[in-house]
Amino acid sequence: MYTAPFDYRRAHDTQEVVTWLQEDPDNTKIIAGGHSLLPLMKLRLASVARLVDISQVAELQGIREDMGGLRIGAFTRHAQLAKDPAVREAAPLLASAAAVIGDMQVRNRGTIGGSLCHADPAADLPAALLALNAELVIAGPGTERRESLDAFFLAPFITTLAADEVLTAIVVPRMVPGAKSTYLKRPHPASGYPVIGVAAWVSVSGGRVEDCRIALTGIGPVPFRAARSEQVLTGRAFSREAIAEAAREAAGSGTLEDDEDGYKSQLCQVYVSRALGDIAQGAG
Amino acid sequence: MTTVDIAFLLNGRPVSLSVEPRLLLSDALRHHLGMTSTHVGCEQGVCGVCTILLDGAPARSCLMLAVMADGRSVTTAEGLSDPLAEQLRDSFQEHHALQCGFCTPAMLLTAHCLLSAHPEAGESQIREALSGNLCRCTGYQFIIDAVSSLTERGGEGDASHG
Amino acid sequence: MAEEFASAPHFVGARIPRTEDSRLLRGEAQYLDDIQIPNLLEMAFVRSPYAAARILSVDSSAAWNIPGVRAVFTFADMPFVLPQNGPSPIDQPVLARERVRHAGEAVVAVVAESRYIAEDACEAVHVAYTPEEPVLDMQAAQKDRPRRVHDAAPNVFYHQEYETEGFQAAFDTAPHRLTMTFQTTRQTACSLETRGIIAAADPFSGRMTVYCGTQSPHRLRGDLAEMLQMEEHLLRVIVPEVGGAFGMKAATYPEYLAVVQAARLLRQPVKWTADRVESFLSDVHARDDIHDLEVAFDQRGQIIAVKDHLMADGGAYASYPFSGAIGETSLAAKVITGPYDIAHLSTVIDCTYSNKVPLGAYRGVWGPVASFVQEGMVDRIAQFLHLDAAEVRRTNLVQPNQLPYRNAAGMLYDSGSFTESFEHALAQLDYTRWRATQEQARRVGKYLGIGLSNFVEPTAMASSEAGSIGYESCSVRVEPSGTVTAWLGLGPSGQGHETTMAQVLADQLGVDLEHIVVLHGDTDAAPLGGGTGGSRSGPLGGGAAMQAGRKMRERLDVYAAHMLEAAVEDIAWEHGRAHVRGVYARHVSLRDIARIAYNDVRQIPSGLPIGLEVTERYQPPRPVSFSNGTHAAVVEVNPSTGQVTVLDYVVVNDCGTLINPLIVEGQIHGGVAQGVGAALLESLVYDDSGQLLTTTLMDYLLPSAPLVPRMRIEHLVTPSDGALGVKGMGEGSLIASPAAIAGAVNDALSPWGVSFERLPIAPRDIVTSLGRSSAAPV
Repeated sequence: MYTAPFDYRRAHDTQEVVTWLQEDPDNTKIIAGGHSLLPLMKLRLASVARLVDISQVAELQGIREDMGGLRIGAFTRHAQLAKDPAVREAAPLLASAAAVIGDMQVRNRGTIGGSLCHADPAADLPAALLALNAELVIAGPGTERRESLDAFFLAPFITTLAADEVLTAIVVPRMVPGAKSTYLKRPHPASGYPVIGVAAWVSVSGGRVEDCRIALTGIGPVPFRAARSEQVLTGRAFSREAIAEAAREAAGSGTLEDDEDGYKSQLCQVYVSRALGDIAQGAG
Repeated sequence: MTTVDIAFLLNGRPVSLSVEPRLLLSDALRHHLGMTSTHVGCEQGVCGVCTILLDGAPARSCLMLAVMADGRSVTTAEGLSDPLAEQLRDSFQEHHALQCGFCTPAMLLTAHCLLSAHPEAGESQIREALSGNLCRCTGYQFIIDAVSSLTERGGEGDASHG
Repeated sequence: MAEEFASAPHFVGARIPRTEDSRLLRGEAQYLDDIQIPNLLEMAFVRSPYAAARILSVDSSAAWNIPGVRAVFTFADMPFVLPQNGPSPIDQPVLARERVRHAGEAVVAVVAESRYIAEDACEAVHVAYTPEEPVLDMQAAQKDRPRRVHDAAPNVFYHQEYETEGFQAAFDTAPHRLTMTFQTTRQTACSLETRGIIAAADPFSGRMTVYCGTQSPHRLRGDLAEMLQMEEHLLRVIVPEVGGAFGMKAATYPEYLAVVQAARLLRQPVKWTADRVESFLSDVHARDDIHDLEVAFDQRGQIIAVKDHLMADGGAYASYPFSGAIGETSLAAKVITGPYDIAHLSTVIDCTYSNKVPLGAYRGVWGPVASFVQEGMVDRIAQFLHLDAAEVRRTNLVQPNQLPYRNAAGMLYDSGSFTESFEHALAQLDYTRWRATQEQARRVGKYLGIGLSNFVEPTAMASSEAGSIGYESCSVRVEPSGTVTAWLGLGPSGQGHETTMAQVLADQLGVDLEHIVVLHGDTDAAPLGGGTGGSRSGPLGGGAAMQAGRKMRERLDVYAAHMLEAAVEDIAWEHGRAHVRGVYARHVSLRDIARIAYNDVRQIPSGLPIGLEVTERYQPPRPVSFSNGTHAAVVEVNPSTGQVTVLDYVVVNDCGTLINPLIVEGQIHGGVAQGVGAALLESLVYDDSGQLLTTTLMDYLLPSAPLVPRMRIEHLVTPSDGALGVKGMGEGSLIASPAAIAGAVNDALSPWGVSFERLPIAPRDIVTSLGRSSAAPV
């Protein structure tokens, strides 16, 4: 299966990317790692007249310190995220999630920007980034804009990104000192995508949960924060009862589709419970 | 049809091609550059038989356009020639780690990468590292044994894994 | 029977690394798509998007206008068919003619300068269809509902009934009876290398050369000649390296005819390879079976009578030459009792057409289904009677003193080690310890299960998916330099025949392995043979190699005796040299003999011909020889997530003499991995409109390394009465493994009273079944 013919451009700076997108937004697509786009193009499910390769755009690369947190270029490969010392130090939850994406080959090519913009509901990073309150930096014809990741995913494969915009960076605040985190997933046997993925961090003081974040991916049409679970836990003793109650609230925090048999809700409960349990036992 | 000129290192030698943008790297390697050990099995990036090393790291050539290899270094199984590669080939043969051979070049590349980075890898880690390389013939056991025998622990795989 | 060997045999039975490996490991092997031919054109197909439809029109004008397109063909341009085949009275056209009968059926063939352009052209072809209601449910189809797939024939294309005498009385008077239904859903071989074919005129001889990754080179050649009305002697088939076949590459497919005919019409070489999506839509499928079973038994669990309505959905056409539906049901009906001593059997078979891909052969054919039914039945009986699953099997197993044993369907089990392999497997697994562990685990909310699967594997059969040649052929030539070339009519795809057949020859000839090359796959050179399939290559190929090797050696003995002035019976061979037994100082080499045989022909002993070439055909002494064994699996099932982990897996395998234990074990590992897929992962899913939903490897799940357990294998040896005592063994591991794994899952879930009689068992199925079950775990 081969793609239809297309025009290929290699961009050297963000402005070029935006200009080309503006010229024909409906038929121009950005290619980063290619692992989401190319399979669709090969099945001729995505028709692209012009492909813009951003691998040479220096502004989209690199991981920098940003007000105590991190500014991660959109064109950062999963393998880099998993290994980078700054990421492992300031946002270990993100490194853990990146380390279990797909398989070795996928991690060497896929990028954080590509993953977020493709918005496959079964992707690992969105859970970690939602839990970390990530913010997106987006360039377009106008001035650069910032958007909280919470608002970014609208539906499967649909984000707030306009057709003439390009994601340039992801800003991740430094994790709360002393917080323990874990990313727990059930991988799809063929693709390694998360059938369900739970990213969570908890900061505990005197046995009580001072703050926490729990985010789920894979299980719903979009990744979501388990806000109700977070509410249940915050301020409470970090006990088995609290964890069990928080886990029960997880599914209700999002909208699950195709769950008449309750299977997906059950997975939410089980995996949130396990993730929080791992954190409580220091295994996270 | 506009073509793009690309140049990259293939198994250490510089090569240059004029290609249609949609030409896949797997096809460029197989049909334009004679590297037929890079196979194609699923075109969607699952089976891994198209694995090559891009700048030394395993990547799927069926999910790369040839133009994306411009300026990079590509290694195929034909180009694996260091002592570890020879040991791997001998070990694969000794352990009967291949039957039809279709997944084998990709297995060698991924295993080579794993052993170079993690010479101490145990059975679980080997299985995880090879999770992106499917085999329909061998049931993996002799492949794991072949790789395992070259780790620092040596010997056959563990009886229990998982 | 005592075998004569050149010297003490030392290659057969040895764990010898394969000679095939060096080219495969160096990346120098050539699979079909690697073959470079000048001026090669490539074909792509426009395939039906509908399961059933009338073709109203085909408009290819836009396609013809794409630069690089050489031809666009419909049935009118190549009016050929795969002719009706056995009980099925329906021909399959090369390209759809007036109607399409499954999603994926080829309608238009486009030939262009590259596959890229051919696919662009396919997009530009417009076919107008009137969809019709598809036939998708096999039980409704039996009543010709909603309609007939083929107007000219009822949907039931194969119906057979069989009953042992006295069946009904035995069934009715038994103390207990149970009814159950088993279903296996569609699966497919899914070799990593897809199908392909190249047809190229051979400029050196004026013939047509066809390269194809087929299991049956001679049969394919014959089929192409007959179906395309070509002269067989002007056709040559060459099989390159094949990246897995598993029965699926034995069939003659419509695409093959289209490519060869296109090459003839265009007078240029043409190639087609399947991409993965079209593989799912056009490779033969398998396992689409339902068994409605009733079983009668006594209070000890001794099975008295089995009644089985075997049904298979054969797809739109009977695959050529082997209908998978007929194969899966008719052979299951003959060995559904497995290695159990069951006196009465009543079977009814119904194979039906549907608007789905044709069913063909996939490793094990009926066996994985039959074993799943057989062992599922035994486990249900054990549960019903509150007896231990192993004990009920012991009660039923055919005892050693009953062999040779004729089963209720009339199949003769020639020899085997049914009870031994079972007891050895239980011991290897440490069955009692796992039962204790299971008990303790349940008390802490962990659910382990043990699955047991005893199998018989019919091997060395005259007829298989590869064809109907009841013998195998081997030609041996000693070259002038004293090295040995051999050819067999087999069609390997990774089974290591080049090594195993060389091992047999080496023992017969007294030559070292490195001086023998075994060739196959070229109809110019290989003597007509039956290809590879139905677990025939070891016993029949080995038999042919043995016979040819012995015939050659007998001739060489005469030469050596003559040259060493000794009696023929005093000649011994070692490392390619003959000496008089006990006298090592004088010897003659193969090369010395060859010089006479080919050059100094006046020295040839009287009665012997010039040259050193023999061709022998081996026919086995019986129509089928049974291998057997036992698989035992331990799994843990997580009831809240439905995940299944295999904790332990033991195989006891008896295939008679092992030519190469390393290769036997590799085959077993591979079959068990496919069994993990069959039991837990693989399913081809059709929707209500007949669309195949699973068309990529993202949807059709193949087991990867972390999902396949480590297996422990023990070999037992009950020789056949055929050559070398070798039985076939390539399929036994896939025959037994789905039953072992499914049985283990069911055992783990027995506290809930939940039992799966449908494969595959997915995590979601487990969770939802437990949710629905009213019984709380004990």
